[in-house]
Amino acid sequence: MNSEEDKKAPPARDSAESGQKVYPGPRSEQDNIDLLSRENAELKRKYSTATQYIRDKVNQLLTVMGTSTLKPEELDDKTLIATDPVGIVSNSFVQILKHLHKTNAKLKITNQEIKAIFDSAGAGILVIDKEMRTLAYNAKLREQFFSDKLDVTGQPCYRLICNLSSPQSSCPFMAVFDSGEGVRLMGWVLKNRYYDIVCTPIKDENGEVTRVVLLYMDITQRIQMEQALRQSEEKYRDLFENANDLIQSIGPDGAFQYVNRAWRETLGYGEDEIRDLTVFDILHPDCSECGPDFKSVVFGETSGRIETVFITKGGRRINVEGNISTAFSEGKLIGTRGIFRDITERKEAEEILSSERERLAVTLRCIGDGVITTNIEGKVVLMNKVSEALTGWSQEQAKGRPITEVLHLICETSRAVKDNPVEILLKSGKAADILDHTLLVARDGKERLISDSVSPIVDRKSSIVGTVLVFRDITEKRNIEEKLLKAEKIESLGVLAGGIAHDFNNLLNAIMGNIDLAAMDLDPGDRIHDSLLRAGKAVLRAKDLTQQLLTFSKGGAPIKKETSISELIRDSADFAIRGSNAKCGFDLPADLWKVEIDLGQMSQVINNIVLNSVHAMPEGGQIYIRAENIVIGYDGPDLKQGKYVKVIIKDTGSGIPQKHLPRIFEPYFTTKHAGSGLGLATTYSIIKRHDGHIEVASDIGKGTIFSIFLPAFSGITALNTPPVEKPSKKGRGRVLLMDDDDMVRTTTSEMLKRIGYEVVGSTEGNETLEKYKTARNSGEPFDAVILDLTIPGGMGGKETILELLEFDPGVRAIVSSGYSSDSIMASYLQYGFSGVLTKPYQTKDLSSVLQKVIISR
Amino acid sequence: MLTLNIIRYDICGQICPSTLLTALQVINEYSQQLSDGEVKIAFKTDNRDAISTIPESAANMGYPVTVTKGDGYYLIEISGAEE
Repeated sequence: MNSEEDKKAPPARDSAESGQKVYPGPRSEQDNIDLLSRENAELKRKYSTATQYIRDKVNQLLTVMGTSTLKPEELDDKTLIATDPVGIVSNSFVQILKHLHKTNAKLKITNQEIKAIFDSAGAGILVIDKEMRTLAYNAKLREQFFSDKLDVTGQPCYRLICNLSSPQSSCPFMAVFDSGEGVRLMGWVLKNRYYDIVCTPIKDENGEVTRVVLLYMDITQRIQMEQALRQSEEKYRDLFENANDLIQSIGPDGAFQYVNRAWRETLGYGEDEIRDLTVFDILHPDCSECGPDFKSVVFGETSGRIETVFITKGGRRINVEGNISTAFSEGKLIGTRGIFRDITERKEAEEILSSERERLAVTLRCIGDGVITTNIEGKVVLMNKVSEALTGWSQEQAKGRPITEVLHLICETSRAVKDNPVEILLKSGKAADILDHTLLVARDGKERLISDSVSPIVDRKSSIVGTVLVFRDITEKRNIEEKLLKAEKIESLGVLAGGIAHDFNNLLNAIMGNIDLAAMDLDPGDRIHDSLLRAGKAVLRAKDLTQQLLTFSKGGAPIKKETSISELIRDSADFAIRGSNAKCGFDLPADLWKVEIDLGQMSQVINNIVLNSVHAMPEGGQIYIRAENIVIGYDGPDLKQGKYVKVIIKDTGSGIPQKHLPRIFEPYFTTKHAGSGLGLATTYSIIKRHDGHIEVASDIGKGTIFSIFLPAFSGITALNTPPVEKPSKKGRGRVLLMDDDDMVRTTTSEMLKRIGYEVVGSTEGNETLEKYKTARNSGEPFDAVILDLTIPGGMGGKETILELLEFDPGVRAIVSSGYSSDSIMASYLQYGFSGVLTKPYQTKDLSSVLQKVIISR
Repeated sequence: MLTLNIIRYDICGQICPSTLLTALQVINEYSQQLSDGEVKIAFKTDNRDAISTIPESAANMGYPVTVTKGDGYYLIEISGAEE
């Protein structure tokens, strides 16, 4: 109220009737006081109204603000005016508005976000009201259910989604409006697709559900995947259970988590027994490395392929191989899984195969022939030791190479390369014939004569898958065959020689006998007598030759006689150098010890060695032969201790190369073009049979020295010393002469007659027996019988004497033969004979033996 | 970092003017600082109605409010506006 204005004249008032201003007249003090009182009261009332008005407005504003109104005591009039509550609240409103603005802006953004989420959600979102009408939906829902429609706002969901004309009372989403509780439906099928549907109620401030939000999550793919997974699981379970392999899963403690049917059946455990088992119950105790291997796998240290041995419930051993994988979760081992296959049979088969292979390998190694196997292309697969040695290729080098490279064959005669039998077989399909005259040229160029055969290796279908070639070095075999042939020839020669000698002896006998007879008829001073004497000596010489020939043909054990070797040496050496330019010198002491030797064989020895010396000096040269007594004081490898006669034969010939020296006594070893290789071999053999020793020293250009050691005669007189030669004496008596040779019989008969005997001849044993018996029975027995030892085709002397002795134990028989060294001749007494005659014999020999035999009666 | 200034008002025993109006006035006074988060206002009161009216109003203005009961009083703390 403005007090200044109050002091002015009272204002004119408007007439109520006319509306004009009416001015009142002058007033008294009391009237003024009354007026002022009235005005004061009016003012108070107005003031009160005004303050109340302000209070009310403030309260109104506070109410609008959302807070409680003020109590009267909280704001008296004075304060009301002083504090400007309206201003305060108004200013607060400013802040409220600002806050609202901010909130609105945020809401706007949030709205946009929600819209974006709504629109871009991977699931369909539908908002419906109580009447099931569509309030809002997102693009996804449209895509899911009504892509053909434009806008479906306001349309009922039961038509849009469920294709129904009216709502179903059983619709679970309708119930949400009543219950206020959200629902979730899983696997709902709509339009051939699967959905998880979440229904969330939206409540107002009163808690009433005004709308629901339906979230449609298309789980068709998941359902399909689950179905596929289930099918796959079934498939794998089927495989797992029906697999023939043993499948197991083990926990970190070694206990079984699961096993399949095959496992249970193989190891013999029931389903309910598995939980009590650990992996260590099935590992075979014999398998020492299984434990550590398995442990390292069980504890995740290793995985992968493993071979081990299981033991069944029944204790049977099973070899298995398999694969183990380890499973981890968050760095911790959760188990191992293993798949195993029973390989017991395979193992057994492998062992058998291994044994077979070993057997084959050993067989191949031990086979004395070369064995090469090839594949179908003719490339080397396998070779044994012998083939390696013969070809010069090792298995490693030859493997994979063509057979023609490894086995280089040429013809022995033409030297042309030969077709390889393996190639022939592979081309023709037939086993090739054994090739003759095939030389194998080894890698080092050495040539060997081989014989070979090749066979195909076929599979079960009889198709050729390779070849086997077997070959052997027949060089030695052929050498031996040749030597055998030589030996046979020599033996044949020997037999021939023996035969010839026999006949020759008989001829000599006839010649000698006739010479003797002729000489008897001549005077000793007669010239013819001398000629006859010379002829006789020549015959004797011829006799020696035949002796040698017979020695050679008969061979055999030496018939030892005590003798001085000096004469034998001279005779044999002179004989050997006859006709050559070689000269022979002798140094043979008179006090040389006697030796006990087979004269014929020892002659052969000296003869052979001297002949060799002669051949070594084709232009002529000097041979020295020396003999000496020697004592060996100790048993050596070649000679025992004792007395020996050493004979040294030295020449100035070309010498023998050092490398040949060890071989010169070998049979058939010869460096001479026409040599038999037998001479020194026979020499060696004869010396050895005499318990002696022979050695040689030589070198090229230095001549050769042969040293022969012969045991000295120990002093025991030999049996049956040959009869001492005595001049012919006339005798008397009847003699039965058995000889198959007519000339011998005639000549000898003549000789016998000359010295006074009566002779009856016979050709063989039976005739002799008959004549002897007849003569004895008739009272005119024979005084002596001369029996030829060898009667070809008839009974000889040896058999005849037996018969005669049986008939007449006192028979006086003389054995006659050209071979003085024959055992019968040497030990005639033991055979029942009384005397011996060596052909060719002279008359004096006949006379001497007959006298001895007949007189000794 | 801005240091938070805490404005303390002890309006215990105050009846008139109303604690609400007092609080509103103070809030208005510091509205900018409150918005900038520079101040915090703490009212100490024993008026039971104040613990609902002041927080309600401050919340409507967008300010976070906490009410803590002390021994014979209530502490109403008003922070700066949330972003």
